[in-house]
Amino acid sequence: MNHIYLKHSFIELNAREKAAAVLDPDTFREILGPFDRLESPHLALQSIVPQSDDGVVIARGFINGDSAVVIAIEGDFQGGGIGEVSGAKIAAALEQALKDNEGGIRTRPVLLLETGGVRLQEGNYGLLAIAEIQAAIVSLRRYVPVVCVVSGMIGCFGGMSITAALCTTLIMTRQGRLELNGPEVIEQEAGILEFDSRDRQLIWSTVGGEQRFETGFADTLVSDDVAEIYEAVRDACQREVSLEARSSQVERFLSRLAVIDPSTPVDGSLLRTLWGRDQKEDVSHTEERLRRLEEVWLQTETNDVLSRGRKWFEALTGVTKSEKGGAPSVLCADASLGEEYVRYISVVPNPANRFPRARHGEVGLDEGWTIARYVRDTIQADQDGKRRAIVAIVDVPSQAYGYREELLGIHLACAAAADAYASARLAGHPVIAFLVGNAISGAFLAHGLQANRILALDDPDVVVQVMSQKSAARVTRRCIEELEEVAAKIPATAYDIRSFASLGSLHELLEDVAADEPAQSDIDTVKRKIINTISEVRSSARDLSNRLVSDHAQKGRAASIEVRVRLAAQWNS
Amino acid sequence: MEQLMFEYNASKKVSRRAHVGVAGSGDLEILIEPCQELRAYVVIRTQSNGFEETWKAVLDRFFTIYDLAVSIEINDFGATPGVVSLRLAQAVEVLQS
Repeated sequence: MNHIYLKHSFIELNAREKAAAVLDPDTFREILGPFDRLESPHLALQSIVPQSDDGVVIARGFINGDSAVVIAIEGDFQGGGIGEVSGAKIAAALEQALKDNEGGIRTRPVLLLETGGVRLQEGNYGLLAIAEIQAAIVSLRRYVPVVCVVSGMIGCFGGMSITAALCTTLIMTRQGRLELNGPEVIEQEAGILEFDSRDRQLIWSTVGGEQRFETGFADTLVSDDVAEIYEAVRDACQREVSLEARSSQVERFLSRLAVIDPSTPVDGSLLRTLWGRDQKEDVSHTEERLRRLEEVWLQTETNDVLSRGRKWFEALTGVTKSEKGGAPSVLCADASLGEEYVRYISVVPNPANRFPRARHGEVGLDEGWTIARYVRDTIQADQDGKRRAIVAIVDVPSQAYGYREELLGIHLACAAAADAYASARLAGHPVIAFLVGNAISGAFLAHGLQANRILALDDPDVVVQVMSQKSAARVTRRCIEELEEVAAKIPATAYDIRSFASLGSLHELLEDVAADEPAQSDIDTVKRKIINTISEVRSSARDLSNRLVSDHAQKGRAASIEVRVRLAAQWNS
Repeated sequence: MEQLMFEYNASKKVSRRAHVGVAGSGDLEILIEPCQELRAYVVIRTQSNGFEETWKAVLDRFFTIYDLAVSIEINDFGATPGVVSLRLAQAVEVLQS
């Protein structure tokens, strides 16, 4: 492992070799390695052979002489999927790096991401771990650049594409891909005319490294070369800590979306002329474009679909028309609640949405950026006063699946929303997620999972999961009955809210509340619970550590806890 | 998934441990550690059921050549016998490096 320079290709290295290749020579020290045998406790139960390191390598060492941690995912094991243990290893490593930086030790984090996203066999374990990874990155980014490399050949997908988008600097090769929904999933959900998953040229010209670099989604394009990536990582580490990560640049990216007309076709090469690196981005243009976009949004406003998200928004705020200037599918209003002043945000269906793939309440491009805008407005408005609470009313069937969505960076739109909520939480705003319907996948990562506390209605139609049962069956090549059998053994793969509650991340399950037709007494109950939760949050930590302390978590996420304890013990040894 | 176990007499002690490979398609992961007795123990978890005879043949040959007192753990994701032998040889190389 000491003679990394002899090998040219970075992509062909395994995860361990990749980690060693970006560290200063001969400084690689693996923690939680294969002989610690922290394998997935959930795979063998499903007759899948586990791996001794669960597919993630955590390496301590040095970068330019500074303390560093390199996190490398092994794409060859289960497609680099994030399960409970592999996810906890990444989160725990970032949390330790954060602790170092908070304590004055500059530990530099580097992520080498080769991953299909959540490992479907472990469902919500992956989702929760990714939220914790993202929380740690947003915190860590304030102290030190968080550097991410997507070299390929797997690429970086699903919730982990949102993770990549939250990093300070993103380095890609031409072979690398970055996208929220894989082409196969889009083809399944939206049809082959939307996205032909066999068309490799189409795929790379949409989400490949070069396209991402040329259209402003990646910072550095490198060739598949160990020495070049070694240098690119060092350059990225030397940069100033950016207060304006890409996922925080709301006005800029909304104004980019303003020049897109979803009723006309757009492809990779056209986008390079619209959003290319050589396009000057004039601030005065930004404002004018935003005004135009707001006009378009006003014209497409409808409120004829009474989703749960809308019903509960109206019930809690007393407001039926949201007037905050964003996409009409994102409702936002401020209302008094006891002694608190609260901002409520809810994503709702809009049959006239300018993006056809986001008409059923999905979190799409406009939605992700609009949520980010509404949350960041709050942070800015309250920066010198009492931080108002933010309640995310969650009823999101999924992120929007579409060709346009991937091309225009839905992973970044979701990251923007997650970033905003996490930043609000860190700034001292109590952030509460209130689950009234679906809370699925990337949409839930964007809208809800960065909250200090999660409340949910105890109702059969309140569902938390990574993918629809049908799609999960196709991707894992199992029938629905088999999936249900697994769900009985491993609650993290079930869909119902009570199974999710058994993982310990839910603050409270609200029983006996009518989810569809809430009476005044139901609304009062919910309001009371929200007030209590806000006051509890005001006097507790601003990170997500509370998700691992409940009695449910001790049992339901025992492996997540064990990984953290053992990683901490090996961190400096 | 199927779990298999094998045991051999062995005479050569080793002082190190080795880890090679990945439980990815057509490949396998091998962990080798020193065994305190003069025996060798092999525990295999394989994604391909029904190949006990083949595993026995590959391991018989391996221990005839190397005769190492080790505990071996294998996580296999459908490696061919050729790949298994290569990975075992690679692991021995790491032990001796």
